[in-house]
Amino acid sequence: MTGKAFFTTTKELAELGRENIPEGFRSNTHLIYSSPATLAFNSPGAEGFGVKRAGLSIPDSVMLLVAPGCCGRNTSGLGNLPQYRNRFFFLMMDETDIVTGSHLQKIPRAVEEILQSLKTRPSVVMICITCVDALLGTDMERVCRKAEEVCKIPVRPCYMYALTREGRRPPMVHVRQSLYSLLEPRTKKSRSINFLGFFSPLEEDCELYSIFHQMGIRRIREISRCSTYEEYQEMAEASFNVVLNPEARFAAGDLEKRLGMPYLELRRLYQLDKIHNQYMALGRALGIEINEEPYAGHARKALEDFRKEFPGASFAIGEFQNGEALEMALALVSESFRVREVFATVNEENFIYVEKLAALSPETRVYANLEPTMIYYEETEENKVDFAIGKDAVFYHPGAHSLTWSQDVQPFGYEGAAHLYRALSACGKE
Amino acid sequence: MKGLRLYLPPFAPDSSGASSVLYELGGILVICDAGGCTGNVCGFDEPRWFTRKSAVFSAGLRDMDAILGRDDLLADKLASAAKKLDASFAGIIGTPVPSVIGTDYHALKRMVEKRCGLPVVAVDTTGIDLYDVGEEKAFLALFRTFTEERTEERTAERKGCVGILGATPLEVSDLDIQDRFEKILKKDGVRQVFCYGMGAGLEEIQQASNVEYNLVVSPAGLKSARYLEKTYGTPYRVGFPGAARLIPQVDFSGKRVLIIHQQVLANSLREEAEKAGASSVTVGSFFMMKREWMRPGDVSLTEEDDLKQLVKEGSFDLVLADEILEPLMDPDLPEFVDLVHFACSGRLGEWQ
Repeated sequence: MTGKAFFTTTKELAELGRENIPEGFRSNTHLIYSSPATLAFNSPGAEGFGVKRAGLSIPDSVMLLVAPGCCGRNTSGLGNLPQYRNRFFFLMMDETDIVTGSHLQKIPRAVEEILQSLKTRPSVVMICITCVDALLGTDMERVCRKAEEVCKIPVRPCYMYALTREGRRPPMVHVRQSLYSLLEPRTKKSRSINFLGFFSPLEEDCELYSIFHQMGIRRIREISRCSTYEEYQEMAEASFNVVLNPEARFAAGDLEKRLGMPYLELRRLYQLDKIHNQYMALGRALGIEINEEPYAGHARKALEDFRKEFPGASFAIGEFQNGEALEMALALVSESFRVREVFATVNEENFIYVEKLAALSPETRVYANLEPTMIYYEETEENKVDFAIGKDAVFYHPGAHSLTWSQDVQPFGYEGAAHLYRALSACGKE
Repeated sequence: MKGLRLYLPPFAPDSSGASSVLYELGGILVICDAGGCTGNVCGFDEPRWFTRKSAVFSAGLRDMDAILGRDDLLADKLASAAKKLDASFAGIIGTPVPSVIGTDYHALKRMVEKRCGLPVVAVDTTGIDLYDVGEEKAFLALFRTFTEERTEERTAERKGCVGILGATPLEVSDLDIQDRFEKILKKDGVRQVFCYGMGAGLEEIQQASNVEYNLVVSPAGLKSARYLEKTYGTPYRVGFPGAARLIPQVDFSGKRVLIIHQQVLANSLREEAEKAGASSVTVGSFFMMKREWMRPGDVSLTEEDDLKQLVKEGSFDLVLADEILEPLMDPDLPEFVDLVHFACSGRLGEWQ
């Protein structure tokens, strides 16, 4: 292999401007390179919380994947995890189904057979369909209603349409809408709220819990912490929703329309000053004063401890991790660390970070994970870094201290940043 | 119910089989999908993907590409990649999306060849068929595209050389199979082994007509073996070298045995089980079963219920099959022994 991986420096990118983002960063203009670094976000069901795992977030739910065999293949890996055992079922389409749509007729009977095979009745059956039905224009809502009538159990669609990944409502947005669509109207409780956005809980010590408790909120619910269907239904009592991941915005919008729950949005950040600004804005919006100091202190201490141990550390930051790669890069550069490389999908939304990075660290290289020449990327003496953050960066930098930072339990806010720096300190000592 | 799987996940599909054949050959492989199929192929069905780089790409199809049938856009993307990458050919592998929109692979192949200046192997897999169907198509397309005429000079050079047809990780559940086969076959006087797609590269595929004989180790290799024999006169044999090392160390004497795997390996294991004293051995497979290699009583399986019924009615004493099939065994079955099959469970096995 003799070629060179495509990259652009932050300075070059900023000079080009957000209207002229190079083709290498626009995945619709080139073939998409498939490497272990890209698996999780290149395939909506492949790794992490893809559509399949996400679709089973409702307690006691099961999923019927209706698709050609190839779409469900990797589910055999998931099926081995104890929490997913006996929860995935498959209705495999053949060519006749594709031509005649006869698979849709089979769904109610398939649901019946699934129910008969289970010792306990599930709370809901999610019907997951794929690109084939996207092209056939299947009205899966209608099919689900039919199955509900026949089987007397809630049946909901779940769209694993990789074809629409860059559309307005990509699969991970749609699946969140499906999950919350089962909430039935309940009397609102002013001291209950929901966190929407993730399929696993926030870290136990995340300050968001305390901050909302300071405001008098008594119950904070997350779908991943509901252990029964009834607990999940209690989410309908919330007076408002807090959206922690933009992919949940449509679901929150649906809940606002359907159940009259307004929502506000907070963003996961690693720049400590921006976390502060966000909490101040939240306080102003809700008319209260937020005491963030203990948590901000934890983050600052963890940062300073790390800085003392690894002064001037250099980083490669990837995008497959619990954070926005360019924002995390900016956070580290702002604290005087060196970020030599970022593996990121540059777009209009995150371009603001590129511009700021260009001012502080103009030589930082931005690589496009999905660009074909990434096959030539090699770690060399020239591009070696001390730390790699993110599954993709770790893949590209086997010689660095590795922090995949892609754990299911979600870091957020000051405590999330504190955990990041503590985790870096720990992996730097390994 | 036809098509319903209550216990088993889907087995490796044809697109994975085709990719498995082409993976090591130094081409640009384009899986004609939106991204999900490539994730499945690479992330689950290709164990070499984690340790050995290969130019595997997703076409990155989007809804409008499919609706408007933008084959020219794919050809442009491939041409652009071909300029940047060092590749000897381009492989295009089908998935359900092109299957639904009726992509003309023949036309696509010509269009891409013209724009890239590379030979193209297009495999019209659908994502619906099983892996061995994709392997069969990919092997045949490879030999049709690249294999050169048999000549006396080259045949003399390759005297004592054997080509292995039909070996992929999905079939053999092992990544060192070329070395293992070579060690075993060398004892029978073979000089060198070329395992097409698993150790032997494009050059050996070009010379596949000149080997002493080709050895078919799975049903997916048979069509290509016949093609090479008919077109170039290269003889072929069938069998799985080293089956004796794969047969589990259990007592077979007097037992009624059921073996479930790909047919060639299962047949070779049957011979070993019979040598070890089994009273009868039935072979069953969810994959290709070539009629000419079946014995009376051998069974082609499709649905979960087929296997359940076979085990229930067969009164077997011992079943050798991938452990993923164990939930379908009858509770009264006396003995079940795991026989790894990557195409079923995604696990690699261990040779003794």
